[in-house]
Amino acid sequence: MADPRSDSDIDDDTGTPRWVKVFGIISVVVVLLFLILLFTRGPHRGHGGHRLHGSPSGHTPGSSHK
Amino acid sequence: MIMPPRLRKLALTAHVTCSVGWLGAIAVFLALAILGLTSQEAQTVRGVYLAMEPAAWAVLVPFAFASLLTGTVQSLGTTWGLFRHYWVLFKLLISVFATIILLIYMETFRIMAGVAADPTVDLALVRNPSPRFHAVLALLVLLVANVLAIYKPRGLTPYGRRKQREQRKMSTAQ
Repeated sequence: MADPRSDSDIDDDTGTPRWVKVFGIISVVVVLLFLILLFTRGPHRGHGGHRLHGSPSGHTPGSSHK
Repeated sequence: MIMPPRLRKLALTAHVTCSVGWLGAIAVFLALAILGLTSQEAQTVRGVYLAMEPAAWAVLVPFAFASLLTGTVQSLGTTWGLFRHYWVLFKLLISVFATIILLIYMETFRIMAGVAADPTVDLALVRNPSPRFHAVLALLVLLVANVLAIYKPRGLTPYGRRKQREQRKMSTAQ
């Protein structure tokens, strides 16, 4: 890829660009949502949950990831 | 260590191939997921969920790690660096996050394959919207990474600004 344009990077002394702040907020929200889903629903639940014949119903969150 | 131009082009080619390959593989998984939800043929539906697990190990996981590795090499071997520019940093975080999610999801693939392999399980219980949901999310996330790679929006991290100041001091001193 082309190397950084030295002229445009001089302008970067002005601080964090707005797109970075917006991106950062969206990323934090996405990660938080993912963590909430992971710990409340567990990673293996489809609609109605998965049940294998003869196995316990559902999966406790995080149990498969130790 | 900055790579010479030819090596840089080779590293870039490897990284683009792996990253776009990863994206393409996810698109195929989305197609399989939709097929699993919509096909009226029992063998097709079971086949989809049986095939997803080995296909993910053979294609998705290697592409994920290859994209991460080649991206890291590409960044460290050029003046972009890995932590100097926000777009590079965000791409790295996206790749790491997507790879972690994929590795966690391999267990889901295993479970879905187990359900599909059981002939006594009703087809309605074999079908699962989860792969479609995750494939769409993965595509969106990797498309964002792709856009960042092409547009390279401006923005130096604090570490990048410090490095830039050091380089300016060195060039002024010379």
